[in-house]
Amino acid sequence: MKKQYAFLVDSERCIGCFTCAMACRNYYHQEEGVVWRQVYPLSEEIYPHRERAFLSLACNHCEDPACLNVCPVNAYTKREEDGVVVHHQEKCIGCGNCIRSCPYGAPKYNPVEKRAEKCSFCHERLDAGLKPACVQSCPTKALQLVDLAEMQQTNQVQYPAGYPKMEKLNPSTRFILPKTPKMVRR
Amino acid sequence: MQSMEFPLVLFTVLSQAAIGLTLMRAVRTTSGGEEAAGRTEWLLIAGLMVAGLLGSLFHLGHPLSAPMALTHLGTAWLSREVLFAGLFMGVAALAVVAGNVAGKPALAWLGTALGLGVILSAGMTYAPPALPALNNALPAAFFLTSAVLLGAGFGSWFADEGLRPLMVRIFTGAVVVGLVLYLVAPCVWLSGGEVMRMTGQAWLASGFYWAHLGVLAVALAVAWKTRDIPAWLPVLVLIGELVGRAGFFADTVHTAANMGGLY
Amino acid sequence: AGFDQNEFQVFRNACPRNCYDTCSIKTYVKDGVIQFIEGAPESTYTDGGLCVKGYSYTRRPYSPDRIKYPMVQDGRRTGKWRRVSWDEAMDRIAGKIMELKERDGSLLGLGMTKYSGNFGITNYGVEGLMSSLGYTTRFVGTPCWPAGIDAQNYDLGNMWCNDPEDMVKARYVIIWGANPAWCSVHSMKYIMEAKRRGAKILVIDPVFTQTAAKGDVFWQPKTASDGALALGMARHILDKGLVDRAFVENNAQGFEEFAAYLRENVTVEWAAEQSGIPAEEIREVAEEFAQADPATIWIGYGMQRHTNGGASVRSIDALVAMTGNVGKEGGGARYGHLQTWGFNYNAFIQKQPEGSVGFTGPAAKGEFDLTEGRQASYSDRTVNINKTAQAILDTKDPAIRMLWVSCKNPFAQDFDRPKLEKAFDTLEMVVSVEQFFTETVANSDIVLPVTTLFEEWTVNASYWHYWLSINEQAIKPLHEAKSNLEIGAALSRKMNELAPGSCTLPTEIDTREWTAKEFNQGIYDLFGINDWTDLKNGPVKAKLASSAAWHDMKFGTPSGKYEFRSDLCAEHGHKALPEFKKGRESYDKFRLLTPHTKFGIHSQFVNLDWMKEYNKEPFVYMHPKAAAGKGINDLDMVRVFNKVGEQKARVKLTDNVTEDCLLIYEAWFGKGTTFNVQNLVDDESADMGAYKAGAPGVAIHDQFADIERA
Ligand SMILES: Nc1nc2c(c(=O)[nH]1)N[C@H]1C(S)=C(S)[C@@H](COP(=O)(O)OP(=O)(O)OC[C@H]3O[C@@H](n4cnc5c(=O)[nH]c(N)nc54)[C@H](O)[C@@H]3O)O[C@H]1N2
Ligand SMILES: Nc1nc2c(c(=O)[nH]1)N[C@H]1C(S)=C(S)[C@@H](COP(=O)(O)OP(=O)(O)OC[C@H]3O[C@@H](n4cnc5c(=O)[nH]c(N)nc54)[C@H](O)[C@@H]3O)O[C@H]1N2
Ligand code: SF4
Ligand code: SF4
Ligand code: SF4
Ligand code: SF4
Ligand code: SF4
Ligand SMILES: [Mo]
Repeated sequence: MKKQYAFLVDSERCIGCFTCAMACRNYYHQEEGVVWRQVYPLSEEIYPHRERAFLSLACNHCEDPACLNVCPVNAYTKREEDGVVVHHQEKCIGCGNCIRSCPYGAPKYNPVEKRAEKCSFCHERLDAGLKPACVQSCPTKALQLVDLAEMQQTNQVQYPAGYPKMEKLNPSTRFILPKTPKMVRR
Repeated sequence: MQSMEFPLVLFTVLSQAAIGLTLMRAVRTTSGGEEAAGRTEWLLIAGLMVAGLLGSLFHLGHPLSAPMALTHLGTAWLSREVLFAGLFMGVAALAVVAGNVAGKPALAWLGTALGLGVILSAGMTYAPPALPALNNALPAAFFLTSAVLLGAGFGSWFADEGLRPLMVRIFTGAVVVGLVLYLVAPCVWLSGGEVMRMTGQAWLASGFYWAHLGVLAVALAVAWKTRDIPAWLPVLVLIGELVGRAGFFADTVHTAANMGGLY
Repeated sequence: AGFDQNEFQVFRNACPRNCYDTCSIKTYVKDGVIQFIEGAPESTYTDGGLCVKGYSYTRRPYSPDRIKYPMVQDGRRTGKWRRVSWDEAMDRIAGKIMELKERDGSLLGLGMTKYSGNFGITNYGVEGLMSSLGYTTRFVGTPCWPAGIDAQNYDLGNMWCNDPEDMVKARYVIIWGANPAWCSVHSMKYIMEAKRRGAKILVIDPVFTQTAAKGDVFWQPKTASDGALALGMARHILDKGLVDRAFVENNAQGFEEFAAYLRENVTVEWAAEQSGIPAEEIREVAEEFAQADPATIWIGYGMQRHTNGGASVRSIDALVAMTGNVGKEGGGARYGHLQTWGFNYNAFIQKQPEGSVGFTGPAAKGEFDLTEGRQASYSDRTVNINKTAQAILDTKDPAIRMLWVSCKNPFAQDFDRPKLEKAFDTLEMVVSVEQFFTETVANSDIVLPVTTLFEEWTVNASYWHYWLSINEQAIKPLHEAKSNLEIGAALSRKMNELAPGSCTLPTEIDTREWTAKEFNQGIYDLFGINDWTDLKNGPVKAKLASSAAWHDMKFGTPSGKYEFRSDLCAEHGHKALPEFKKGRESYDKFRLLTPHTKFGIHSQFVNLDWMKEYNKEPFVYMHPKAAAGKGINDLDMVRVFNKVGEQKARVKLTDNVTEDCLLIYEAWFGKGTTFNVQNLVDDESADMGAYKAGAPGVAIHDQFADIERA
């Protein structure tokens, strides 16, 4: 398999602290209402306690990216060397097609630039040998940078409950499921 | 509720009206007659198309770069849609400018073929996996129905007396198909996956949806009763389609709206 | 193009909030503007990352809502703010101070309230400014952790906790009434590592917290029943012969009396009944805890904010001690420490002007007052910070006429907000030193714009871990902001202009110089540095003989031993033994808890536009069954009310809380909102705190309320 950088989201460790989301904002200063990384609480049908287990998600850097396929102006590229899906904002004409098409809601409309934008995996940091801002920020190492070609396959899943199963896109993000403690209640 | 995407509503509905007119024109010219009125009808087709295309520019963040949208024909249905729409527009313009070819059935058929290309690519553009309720042939079916309905409706303005009943029959048929499609689709969604179900609920709770159905019902009643298409009816139907399309964009739920929930 | 560090100027900063984590920050500046920040990688504790609040600092100095200039309000709560020059502001303030002095013959009419807005060491210059003016009235004590501090002082002779990084060595961890998943995010990795190495993690909290969700076992006892639980466990350990005999015989005093108390007054069944935790569970955990080596308990600040909070902490300390876990790496009764705070407090210690008249009665000192025995005869007048409203209303001869508020947001954080408003209305002048237009500012006459951490020099230590960080000035102060120290200097300039000698604080202050003045050889030796400027290379950690507090078994108590029986405690009006103390009687239908939110530190951060991106509005949390009984549906607007006041918000139904409990996180959502939990919290005192913090704590979580659809 070719090198494919991916986020490993370990919900067993994740404390839903939103640090990763704010670290991204701190780095890119997105406009109001534009969120590249969001922390989604799992609904109670999936994890039995409200707002106590989470999925931290940004772009999934899919193998067959919907965003790239539907963009009429070729504003997206998938990097040969590591599979990162980069959005080139200067090319974007703001048609909104990628926003409508990505099942994960990763691309967002920037109302000031009048163009789409999304997480491009901090590729400028990757190129300098650094971790993405969000990955570096995570206080529990629940969010990690992995290479799917090299990752030891153990208990990771690709499509946890709470995450759209889009096999055609083949999103690269991998997950570890949250656990519940023994409850002793009065 | 998402944005109702007014520019896209205008573009899709007006272009579909134009394509429907072309299709009906092709049908009628092939069934004999109709050479004379050609130019005016083409003028309407071209006008609708220009209005739609201009409207569509408003939904671009950077309208001046619109021509760039042709650069990803390889995979982007939107690029293909733009290409087909451009070619279709060219045919319509040619018909308006060159009076001597306007009446030729071949031109109408060429326009129809390109128009169907527009409808098919639009159908694909608006059927992404992110909209599970529409990730199927429904958008294309909705769009084709609108085209036929509006085409037959406005086509009745131009049809010779002899071909009028044909227009009424097609119109009535399209209304029935539309009603069935729009009534059945949300009900089917209700028993689908979570986001489909949410979409079904959103449509059934939407004023856009019921207003559209209301217009279709009126159209059916009038066409049935009068066995004709009164001159005002296509205008009402156009408004109905615009409203329905606004709902199509506004009330269809995106998978991203339910992240963390069941799918 | 790849990221290039050379395009930036990089500065060292430190998060000065009242937070366990006191993170070390690296700040990347370009053209004098902060581009982004990150956690310092040198600190194993910060480990390259901050928290959701920390990362919003990039926005904070540039927030459009910041207070930019000195301003004067024409009529409190009118919102009619006028920009004035620093000179005019100082003129008004100095004028008022002179007037007070003339009228009262002393400056005791000038009150100062300050707490934890900024824990940078040089910010003790606020206290310094007051001293340099004369003897004033100080609001002392802390709403935060005083009951537990006293408890640990009685038991151990000081509050001193193990290095949190050694928690990985624990074989059993009890997190007792703390919520580090929100309040100390950087500690979670150690808890998780302990768990990975096989330790059992038990979380005890009336709320199913995020921390509880990460543990192995969650106990949800009745609120304020912790003492009973700990004593029940202690009794079982005693019965099973699992007491660490060597420790209790060699290093402790009064264990046999404690054992006798347990045998006579405590049974596991009684503890089960008091707490609601089944007896079987208590036995099982007690045995596991006693047999694990080492085992540790993190005693939260949340659990001691009760009328029996100090007593509960003492019971828990006893549990840790009797199992021989005190003084052990990976063990310990962890609460907090001030071991790394041995600065010079140069900013703090200022001389009163010649001839100043002060207070002659008994005066108290705060928990961060590490200047033992360095002050002179006359003293400031002290009043209880936890009864701010009552103190303002009650204090006479002279009355508190003028209030200086700095690093403190009384309207958001002090208790009985309706009463506080009445109290403030009796004040002749209120000066707030602030960054944002808080409710306290709304109740002030003058506001002075203060710098953010990036705009001043200081040094920061932690009350939890053992790292030390320098805080450099990374950008020029924006607008007209000045640091607390520079504000002091400005006032001193004005005072001396009007009446030479009336203020002893220097009239020019360079915050870098004053930061340097805080260091001494003790600090250098403890941290193994030669000069304070070494900290510019990154944070350093204290060179500890052991990661364990009390590793040498030399306790700070009168007996020099761990005191199961503390006569000092008895002298201060409590029981000598860690006996059970009943909690506060309920005064309304539901228990009301108002603990700390993950999106803010008290009244800070939640108001920032960046934060609202992820946290848009406050909620009341309620059990679905209780809600059904009241006809309340999820996300309905509700009204929570009690004898203090009322608060409206939307409700989220969840069994994270029990049926008899309402939960609202404290927060200030910024301009245009009136949400404030202090409308529901009275100023009832906790049992302990007066000994070491100068005033008893507050029973913040002994509150009760009712609820209905709004
Ligand atoms: N209901 C309820 N009440 C509580 C609590 C609770 O759990 N529930 N918790 C209690 C606890 S534990 C604590 S510690 C207290 C905290 O109470 P406070 O110490 O008052 O808390 P903060 O809101 O952190 O800070 C106060 C103000 O300091 C300002 N500030 C920040 N930096 C500076 C600076 O450099 N200079 C100046 N002059 N001002 C600055 C901030 O803008 C803020 O308005 O609240 C207590 N109140
Ligand atoms: N994100 C964030 N971090 C913070 C702060 C903040 O405001 N926000 N504040 C900082 C400050 S000043 C402080 S003091 C610390 C506080 O840190 P913590 O003490 O960890 O936090 P709190 O939320 O005050 O309270 C912790 C828990 O005590 C529980 N509790 C209340 N009553 C009882 C009881 O009777 N028994 C038991 N067992 N548990 C009880 C509450 O349900 C709550 O979950 O955090 C610091 N860090
Ligand atoms: S920073 Fe880490 S722990 Fe916090 S929400 Fe993000 S992934 Fe979860
Ligand atoms: S997650 Fe969405 S935006 Fe990201 S690569 Fe996949 S399709 Fe594109
Ligand atoms: S919004 Fe921009 S990036 Fe997205 S599809 Fe349109 S042109 Fe491409
Ligand atoms: S990888 Fe970079 S751009 Fe993507 S979410 Fe993380 S911080 Fe944001
Ligand atoms: S609030 Fe606490 S955890 Fe967050 S940056 Fe400051 S010190 Fe670190
Ligand atoms: Mo606190």
